Amino acid sequence: MDPLLAGLAAAFEPASLLMVVIGTVIGVLVGVLPGLGSVVGITMVLPFTYGMPQTASIALMLGVFCGSCYGGSITAIVLNTPGTPQAAATVLDGYPMAKRGEADLAIGWVTAASTLGGLFSVLILILAAPQLAAFSLQFTPIEYFALGIFSLTCIANVSRDAMAKGLLAGMAGLFLATIGTDPVTGDLRFTFDVFELSSGIELVPVIVGLFAFSEMFVRTAERLDLGGAERFRVGFRLPPLREWRPRLGILLRSCLIGSFVGALPGTGAATASFIAYSEAKRVSPRRERMGHGEPDGLIAAESSNNAVTGSALVPTLALGVPGDPVTAVMLGALVIQGVAPGPQLFIDQMPLVYAIFFVLILCNIVMFATGALGAPLFTRVLRIPEPLLIPLVMVITLVGAYGVRGNMLDVWVALAAGAVGAVMRVTGFPIAPMVIGMVLSPMIEQSLRQGLVVTRGSFLAFFERPIALTLFALTAAIFLWPLVQRLRGKGRGKAAERVPDA
Amino acid sequence: MHHRWNRLSAIAAGVMTMAAATAQAFPDRPVTIVVPFAAGGGTDITTRAMQEPMGKSLGTDIVVKNTAGAGGVAGVAEGARTRADGYTLAMAPVGPLTTQPHLRKLPYDLDSFDYVCLAYSAPSAFAVRRDAPYNTIAELVAYAKKYPGKLTFAVQAIGSIPHVAGLALAEMAGIQLSYLPVNGDGPAFKALLDGTADIFVPHVSFLSKNKEQVKGLAILQPERLPNLPDLPTAKEQGFDIDTPIWGGLVAPKGLPAEAKTKLEAGCKAATEAASFRKLMDDLAQPVAYMDGKAFEAYVRDQWTRNRRLLESAGLKQE
Repeated sequence: MDPLLAGLAAAFEPASLLMVVIGTVIGVLVGVLPGLGSVVGITMVLPFTYGMPQTASIALMLGVFCGSCYGGSITAIVLNTPGTPQAAATVLDGYPMAKRGEADLAIGWVTAASTLGGLFSVLILILAAPQLAAFSLQFTPIEYFALGIFSLTCIANVSRDAMAKGLLAGMAGLFLATIGTDPVTGDLRFTFDVFELSSGIELVPVIVGLFAFSEMFVRTAERLDLGGAERFRVGFRLPPLREWRPRLGILLRSCLIGSFVGALPGTGAATASFIAYSEAKRVSPRRERMGHGEPDGLIAAESSNNAVTGSALVPTLALGVPGDPVTAVMLGALVIQGVAPGPQLFIDQMPLVYAIFFVLILCNIVMFATGALGAPLFTRVLRIPEPLLIPLVMVITLVGAYGVRGNMLDVWVALAAGAVGAVMRVTGFPIAPMVIGMVLSPMIEQSLRQGLVVTRGSFLAFFERPIALTLFALTAAIFLWPLVQRLRGKGRGKAAERVPDA
Repeated sequence: MHHRWNRLSAIAAGVMTMAAATAQAFPDRPVTIVVPFAAGGGTDITTRAMQEPMGKSLGTDIVVKNTAGAGGVAGVAEGARTRADGYTLAMAPVGPLTTQPHLRKLPYDLDSFDYVCLAYSAPSAFAVRRDAPYNTIAELVAYAKKYPGKLTFAVQAIGSIPHVAGLALAEMAGIQLSYLPVNGDGPAFKALLDGTADIFVPHVSFLSKNKEQVKGLAILQPERLPNLPDLPTAKEQGFDIDTPIWGGLVAPKGLPAEAKTKLEAGCKAATEAASFRKLMDDLAQPVAYMDGKAFEAYVRDQWTRNRRLLESAGLKQE
């Protein structure tokens, strides 16, 4: 039989279809619950895959993966707290939109953007997997370091309204991630002989604290408002086409960023969504409104983090190198299923590869339906009276913070981060930069120090590699661009002369 | 007043039931096994495969709890801190038991435990890129001597078993290797493929799964594997390196004899179960079992050897 048809048949087997639906719904729910993320979701379903046919087990895992990448955005919109780290950038515009009473529309935007991002990445996976895999091998620690430095510009981009405070928060985030075991020498840093700190501070409890707890703390301090819940619209509203048309550029750009970052092992959806958001903030004609409930922000964050799903499978399938902890678990399960990922997979096992393509497409469609059907339920959360909502959220998120690795320290970290976050909110410090710093810090530090091992201690060698050099130059350009613009604004003639040596 | 008495008698009743419970035969409630890594990894999968047959042998349920962190030390520490009643065990891997104690201060040492059994042991191997200009350890050593300081050895963590294997090789051959710390097998493989690293040490099963991209120079155990007859041992190439990646069940010191006997039997039954053997087959991993006594002797032996290697590499800390 033709491999394409064989793949199609495998994907449309009743067992596979059922698993697509079950997996995607579980994924969305896992994403929605703060603290539970993609990794937890995948490992939850993992034991069930052992006894399943190949395609069905893959369908279950891919469903969870896609669904969880999307689900976190719902919590971000409804509760001002990302359900997963991937959705941290979604908070920035999602919650302001919900506060205006348009949570139904915000969920419409993110659902559509997630689905389009996911489908785009399937297309990338179908058309360019071997090429993209080869490209990902061009990224050695030196290129990762350059990418990390480039990504730091996100901090500046999302803190336009409070630059100094944003940079400070970003630095704090970068620092927080250095607590624990030194990635190169194994020495302990800033642990003060507290054994639990030696494994470092987990990202999830910090996010849970900074966003969810601080929000709840601040709300308890505000005057109780029992009326007015009716102004929150419930349901699911898709934005009209004319709203999309001016935003197609942002969508495409974010999909590309997501697919590109996703194909690099060791980066991940959180990094992708921050880069895409920050790019949108830089180029969008509506950038002034971003951060105040502008759909551009939702599109950028959500299309890019779902565009990671397909491309994260590129190194996993084409090289046998997992892209992130989620695909690492998937890779282990595939091996037990008798699939041997690697270059040969795309030659010997085309039916399976096609089945994976179709399953991914189906997952994205089911994800859209789950979002659309679930939205009336999720948006109703906004109408829950605060005296009920606040303890409920606190309990769910605390359990989530504890659940990541079953460590009481994480509960304290979450509570402390909540206090810090509340102070930040009250004093006007943006929270997102801190999270960006924490997400990027391990990648930057480790790649820098690995790079120095590779170059045997030479910094100069970092600038000898074309991709790294390009990224460094881009970073410099982004930093200097506002300066250039300002100089131009002051006096056109003078500024033009000064630009070259700026 | 009445309330108080009621409460007191309730507590007394509770204490009595608990006392009665301990008098009953072990086990009368579920046994928890702490896995010191996140769910989904090799150790986790192996432990979960033991769950059902071991539970059946003990006549109770086995609960698997994942406590990840600090390269497995956090979970093993949790296992050392619980009550020594046999109801909480830890699946203690080679690193946290025999290498990490030499690198930093830990909340446990080898005397913190009673040893139940060795549950798995996977041979490791030296892996290099398919197109690398060396096919044996001798050729690798010659290459390293011809181009001093050129070879980079990716290690999954500083002081991990792969690192120990690299240190042993460098010491025996008298060569210089640069060590590149990465975050596990996947990143190590990536470093090998993109040229950042030249050699690393995975489970031997990794070689057969990725034979289009990597080749093995030597298996790091004394005998060849029946299902990989062409892969020579390091020993027969003149380098006696034996660094399997293993793990076993431990309980806090003071485990009651009855519980220990039953747990040992349960572990043995689990490693002999058909479902467990099938999974080991799927993972291309030989089944390994030792009873508590043999396991303890093995752990102490490995501890001493790794201490010496880490010490001579200047990694040991007081």
